[in-house]
Amino acid sequence: MSTQSFRLLELMLRSSCCHAIRTRPCLQKAALTPTTCVPGGRILHKRAYSLDSFGPGRPSLGPNSHQPRSERTPPSSALVHRNLSVAAVQGQFRPLCRYDYLDLGEVEENVRRAQACKKTRHFIVDPNLANVVAQHMGPDLQDAKTVIFECNPGPAVLTRALLNAGAQRVVALEGDRTFLNELQELELRLDGQLEVLHCDFFRLDPIGCGNVKPPTMFTDKLFTDLGISEAAWTDDVPVKVVGILSQRNERGLLLKMVYALFERLSVFRYGRIELNLFISEKEYKKLVSQPGEMMHYRAFGVLWQMACDIELLHKEPWETFIVSSRQNVPSSKGKLPNDHLCLVRLRPRANLFSAGLTPSNASTLLMMVKQCLAKRKVKLIDRLNLWSPDSGSKLLSELGLPEDILTGNVYPEEYLQLFQLMDKSKEFTQSWLYEEILENPQREGWG
Amino acid sequence: MSLLRVCSFAKSLGRRSLADVRMCFAERCQLCVLVRSGAVRRISGTLLCLQRRNVSSVIPKPEDAKKRVHEQSQLLDVLKVRIQQLQSDFVLDVQHAKVQFVKAPSVGGGISSGRTPKGSSKDKNDIPKSGQMVTKGASKSQPSRWMEKLSQEKKNKLKKQQHLQQKMQRLVKDKVPGKSKGGKSSLIPTGTTHKTISSAAKGSKGDTKLWDEIRAAVSSAAAVTAVASAKAAMTPETSKQKRKDSKSKGADKEATKRTTTECKGKDEDLAEVEELEKRLNQQVRHWACSSTMDSFQESSMGNSCGDIQLSIRSYLEACVFGGDIERSHNFLLSQHRVMSRRKHLTTDVYNIMMRVWAKKGMLNQIGRIFILLEEAGLKPNVGSYSAALECMGRNPNCSPKVISRCLNQMKEDGVTVDDLFSHCVFQQDERDMLLKAIQTVKPDYEPCHTLNASQCFSPLVQDFYTKREHHTYPKLDFTQEELQERFKRQLRVEQACTVTIDSVEAIKPVTEHMARMRELLAEQRAQWQKVLLQALRESKLILTKTNTKDYKLNLYPYLCLLEDKEYVDIMIQSIASLPLSGESLKILARNLGNRIYTKYCVRQKHQNRTVEKLASIYDAYTDLLAKDTKVYNVLPREQWCKLEMEQRSGPTLQGGEASWPYIVTLELGTFMVDMMVKNLKINSDILNPACDRKLIPILYHMYAFRSTRQVGFIKPHPILTQMQQEAMETMLAFDSSVMPMLCPPVPWTSVKFGAYLLTPAKLMRTLEGAMQHDQLLEKCQNLHPVFDSLNQLGNCAWRINKPILDIIISIFNDRGSDELDIPPPLSEAPKIPHFNPQDPTYTASEKAHMKREVINAKKKCSEMHSMRMDALYKLSIAHHMRDELFWFPHNMDFRGRTYPCPPYFNHLGSDVTRAMLVFAEGMPLGSKGLDWLKIHLVNLTGLKKRSSLQERLEYANSIMEDILDSADDPLNGKKWWMEADEPWQALGCCMEIANAVRSPDPTKFISHFPVHQDGSCNGLQHYAALGRDVIGATSVNLMPCEVPQDVYSSVAQQVEELRARDAAKGLKIAQVLDGFISRKVVKQTVMTVVYGVTRYGGRLQIEKRLKEIDEFPKEHVWDASQYLVRLVFSGLKEMFTGTREIQDWLTESARLISKSGHTVEWVTPLGLPIIQPYHRTRNQVLKSTMQYINLQISHDAKERPDTVKQKNAFPPNFIHSLDSTHMMLTSLQCYSAGLTFVSVHDCFWTHALTVDTMNKICREQFVTLHSQPILQELSNFLLLKYCSTVQTQAKNKKYQEYRRLMLLLAKVPQTGDFDLQRVKESTYFFS
Repeated sequence: MSTQSFRLLELMLRSSCCHAIRTRPCLQKAALTPTTCVPGGRILHKRAYSLDSFGPGRPSLGPNSHQPRSERTPPSSALVHRNLSVAAVQGQFRPLCRYDYLDLGEVEENVRRAQACKKTRHFIVDPNLANVVAQHMGPDLQDAKTVIFECNPGPAVLTRALLNAGAQRVVALEGDRTFLNELQELELRLDGQLEVLHCDFFRLDPIGCGNVKPPTMFTDKLFTDLGISEAAWTDDVPVKVVGILSQRNERGLLLKMVYALFERLSVFRYGRIELNLFISEKEYKKLVSQPGEMMHYRAFGVLWQMACDIELLHKEPWETFIVSSRQNVPSSKGKLPNDHLCLVRLRPRANLFSAGLTPSNASTLLMMVKQCLAKRKVKLIDRLNLWSPDSGSKLLSELGLPEDILTGNVYPEEYLQLFQLMDKSKEFTQSWLYEEILENPQREGWG
Repeated sequence: MSLLRVCSFAKSLGRRSLADVRMCFAERCQLCVLVRSGAVRRISGTLLCLQRRNVSSVIPKPEDAKKRVHEQSQLLDVLKVRIQQLQSDFVLDVQHAKVQFVKAPSVGGGISSGRTPKGSSKDKNDIPKSGQMVTKGASKSQPSRWMEKLSQEKKNKLKKQQHLQQKMQRLVKDKVPGKSKGGKSSLIPTGTTHKTISSAAKGSKGDTKLWDEIRAAVSSAAAVTAVASAKAAMTPETSKQKRKDSKSKGADKEATKRTTTECKGKDEDLAEVEELEKRLNQQVRHWACSSTMDSFQESSMGNSCGDIQLSIRSYLEACVFGGDIERSHNFLLSQHRVMSRRKHLTTDVYNIMMRVWAKKGMLNQIGRIFILLEEAGLKPNVGSYSAALECMGRNPNCSPKVISRCLNQMKEDGVTVDDLFSHCVFQQDERDMLLKAIQTVKPDYEPCHTLNASQCFSPLVQDFYTKREHHTYPKLDFTQEELQERFKRQLRVEQACTVTIDSVEAIKPVTEHMARMRELLAEQRAQWQKVLLQALRESKLILTKTNTKDYKLNLYPYLCLLEDKEYVDIMIQSIASLPLSGESLKILARNLGNRIYTKYCVRQKHQNRTVEKLASIYDAYTDLLAKDTKVYNVLPREQWCKLEMEQRSGPTLQGGEASWPYIVTLELGTFMVDMMVKNLKINSDILNPACDRKLIPILYHMYAFRSTRQVGFIKPHPILTQMQQEAMETMLAFDSSVMPMLCPPVPWTSVKFGAYLLTPAKLMRTLEGAMQHDQLLEKCQNLHPVFDSLNQLGNCAWRINKPILDIIISIFNDRGSDELDIPPPLSEAPKIPHFNPQDPTYTASEKAHMKREVINAKKKCSEMHSMRMDALYKLSIAHHMRDELFWFPHNMDFRGRTYPCPPYFNHLGSDVTRAMLVFAEGMPLGSKGLDWLKIHLVNLTGLKKRSSLQERLEYANSIMEDILDSADDPLNGKKWWMEADEPWQALGCCMEIANAVRSPDPTKFISHFPVHQDGSCNGLQHYAALGRDVIGATSVNLMPCEVPQDVYSSVAQQVEELRARDAAKGLKIAQVLDGFISRKVVKQTVMTVVYGVTRYGGRLQIEKRLKEIDEFPKEHVWDASQYLVRLVFSGLKEMFTGTREIQDWLTESARLISKSGHTVEWVTPLGLPIIQPYHRTRNQVLKSTMQYINLQISHDAKERPDTVKQKNAFPPNFIHSLDSTHMMLTSLQCYSAGLTFVSVHDCFWTHALTVDTMNKICREQFVTLHSQPILQELSNFLLLKYCSTVQTQAKNKKYQEYRRLMLLLAKVPQTGDFDLQRVKESTYFFS
């Protein structure tokens, strides 16, 4: 009881805060532009950072790649336009047009709706957070070519924030039927910037047989319906995905996606899809863990690091999100801190499929990395000799690695180079490693 | 004082601190203490050398001392210091002790802590502690990590104990304020004695006074505990139960008061609860009288002997077996020395060492172990005394005085001489030595033996055992000589442990290539053998050298059990049977470990010289079975027991060895796998000379990834697989336990003895490492009916149906046949498509598609291979046995369902294997036999399910032409038999009919063919009978009817009606299903619903059926199955209301029992105890060099029960326990009627001649079984088990739960008014 009432109080406080800001929409929006530096903007910044700096296990990573981005997006004419129009249209009624400012809705109402969801999901209802996320979606948001997939928008707070930030094309993929109506209403009120589909992004391309019903779907159908065609890997990012990764099967989903990425299956058939996902802090730490951290340096992290530029955009405590279940904050059982959800950008590298790696031989790479990192404290040379006797030391010397290096001490790039060398040598292509790939069940559902 | 104590008195003193001595004897007599304290002073001069001697026994060879590790030298230091200390100043020592006392103010409590009611174990724990404390104080000058750690440990433990102690005392204080003198004094002295002691210490007064003080303290403490133990003893005395019950009743009344004001409805509830409790109370008292209560209470605690204890035992036994006495001795001592490890030791562990010394005749060593036992606070048991006496018997010059003293002390401990003979397991000549020792004192002593005839049988079998006049037990169709000869052959097989037989593929001609490959493989194998032998020896050497810590269990003794070569052979053998796609490390390791264990067991029996005795008893036993001997009216088990009783001298037949814990088996197995992976190599150019020559391993260890888990796999290298496949080797090596037995199995006479001659077999199949079942069984008083039934099933002799076997082999060696369930060879497998992924002409989706094709093809290949191998094993065994007569020993699963022990080839198998087997014994068909054969044939076809027997017979007669054609020309004729549900058995039946018809007089035709009688939906039959549910009973043929009722058809019909209604309403899926609903679609689901299939599982079953229908649109399968399963469930619910009610009651009971933290347990009407082994999983990690193996153990009785599993599995398990009871009853009665009878769960087999008799017995036994108040008895049992210990009221919620459970358990579902006797007239009950 008491905790609930406390929560309620907190929410009230928070929402009143928001109201206070929202009463000055011009000001707030203007705050986002660096030219007019107003308190509102600073509040945003402070929020984002304070959490970071107090975080207990802050990673000692390169300052560029893993810090939340500090630079703000430059102002754009459209944005200003819309914000101005909000001021202009106050009090009158007419269909919303491209530049109208969308109200993010009453927080209480959104909380109520989010909590009514039957599945355990996290929701963004805090307008500030929504705005922060929207800002992180980058300057090319307003580029007409950029498509944004929003996964499971729920009460559509982030959707509106995205639109407010000037997104030209947002596709809301909602897996839960209960939210669909409202979303579709919103879709109707807009001028084509928003498309709503009953689809769960994380359940695309199922393995099982039987007829596929929404929200499950096949990628080709989704993309054909949306009129998005396959792009070359080196082209620009065609689609940006934003959403919260389901907590229930976080690791499994990340694994599935990285397998698909390497083999260019599923959504990655359509180019370098950029993922902007909220994942739990714990999982993020594992994702970016470095060689030598024997506990957490795992195959899936190596593969992601190999394939993508990983960037931590934002950290937000669990409490900010609304959960549709009793259990609010996940218990942190492991050694890693797990107080936040981290907004992480995973942008596939344009040069991934150069120098020997192709989607067709990538499965061998996956296999190799997984076999190597099943145990991190074994010598790499032993693994190599297992696949092709006596060639281990030759390969290692070519790579300039010491003979006794452990598999847990090898950098992702080095694994990639190693694979490229192996793929060129005749001995390895005869090895059982190449046979093994095909019967391995690891990629079921993506193959 | 005991003799043993006296003879080693001085030594014992040397090893103990003063506190030790003081406390040890305080209990027995306080006077002693004074004497002893004097003695200590006198002896202290000689202490040092005594101590030395003692230590040197710890370190066996002084020249080894250099190699010894620090620990021991440090230990020595500690001891030395202690001795010096003892020598230097006695008072000072006491002071030290006192200082400790002052530091930890409640050591007074600590002293009394020794006398906690649970016995002296804790008490002894304290003793060395105070000693160690003292040493610590004294030896501060040279502190060592070891000592610090040790004392730290002790301190922590002491603190804990003190804490416990204080609690205990508080409890005592609260409970018995001034009830007895001792109690009174306990209140004050615990406080005051501290003061006096500490003040005494400060002043360092004369020691006499001090001693007085101490004595006072000790005595008062002892008094306290005496009271405490009387009051707080947790024995299930009736008085206590009464007290508790009355308490709860009081609370009930209070509660009643409260609730009356609230609502009146609850009143009745409460009244009921009260009533129940009263009833329970009476029952409890009743049970307590008959002393079975113990088993009720203990069973939950029985599992305390965990893995560690088992590991210790098996380690010691392995050491002893390998003759490594030094290692075992050191190990025991090092375990004993440290408190944390000592707690795992039991008397039986010490007994193992005692036995060793007894064999060597070293009485002084035995004396030492007796001291260790006392130090550990354990009581010597029968085993200890028998070892001691045996040792005395072995010493020709042992004085009778010593023996009689020993006997006296034994008497003091409450062990009688007869106990020794009846409870001990003897090896070799142990028993004779023991007897010799006793007879030196009592020359005319003869162990008196009575057949432990606790003849209280369940009413179900009362008559079977008591009224035997009319029983005609069947004889086997062999002369005694033949049986004895067969025994010798079987013995030879089991002694060899492995059997190598020709596979059925041996008939094929050998091509040149094959010959070359075989040669190559043989060469390689010889090479591998050499390499492995070398590697094994090396690693053994390493293990002996690096094993520095005595207390650490390592594998070395397990590697010395067999000859090195035998280990290597086992390893080499495992390569041949490795599946194509590899095997998970865990399974491979387990198999290897188990093989070694089996071999070890067999060798053990040799060493114990049980084999000779077994042979002589078996020879005598054949007298009962053979046809040329007199007729007995005893059962095989009874006869065997009698014979064993008569030939008492020599070893006991049933081994007392500990089985290995799962983890040890696995560890040993992984060790061997590791050795294989590291050492077995092959030249890479062996097949293709173009390759560069490199040595490549033939087995590799890799990981497979299942969702987020990684599973270690051992895979054969492609080169090896290729060689093996091309060589097509035709010799198959099996464990001897895989083969059927060549002589009648040894009857089960106890939980540990029966089935094979030498190979160990379990009475109850359990999950690896689950011990709760065995413990329950061992506690069980009367399992005789169960044993007898298993023996009856095992005594049925079989032979091969050669014509059928030949046809099957011909198809098998040709191209196999999927329709006839003969797996085709790999040459028939789909070719694995080959494509080059780099080929740019393929588009991405084409590549993905082709990849999938390749994956599927590979999967299919490895599936086909394993099916083929399975069939190959079965056929080869059958082929090997083609001219033999053989037997299948039986055991059962945890619900009592019986199974033949040999795994591949037995009558429980598929249609193919069943068809290959016929009874060895032939019987004339008699007047109705031929008809039964024909009806049986129709049953096998699966046609005419709803026709009467007469109609089936007529049908058979109408198709006689087809039948004869099938028999004469099975493969080229009209092939009528191939259409049958069970084609191979049908073919066999066709041939039998043809032979009978063509014989001059069919009634005299000798038939070996088993005729089956099947229960129609047996699970529902039991439910219907339990609930006396008229509609249900009718639909499963408990009610006599003209034509058989078919529950599946009626359900299908009902489902169809519902579907039609929905279709009319416009439901699309209902419309799609039009015309597709048949008996076949719903059958499996209906059948399994009773066994607890869930909607999920049900949907999968229906989906499978729908997919088999070609016309059914595939895109609707999912929806349709979802829809149908719903209809089936609701249809069943309507038809079987009574069933549902019982099922729900069982489920709910199990849920509440499990939620209250217990596992569901019950006893079948025949007295077989059953416990459900479902618990929350516990992870255990086995760390081997190759990988860590994570074991998920879900049967650990110490974990909380898994509520979901407990509840879902209870109804089906309960029903299975009933159907197994029915089967056992039928089998017993058939035996007494002289029939041949075997069963496949609910399908009973006998000769055509005796079908009618069997049917009669089967029905009678069903009625007898269900005439028992089964549910009522279950309810009583559960109430007694789970509700007789009343929850405390402190936690109201708990009490509510408890009350709910009690009410539920008491509320046995109402029964309907079906007249059970009607079953006797029902033709189609089993048909």
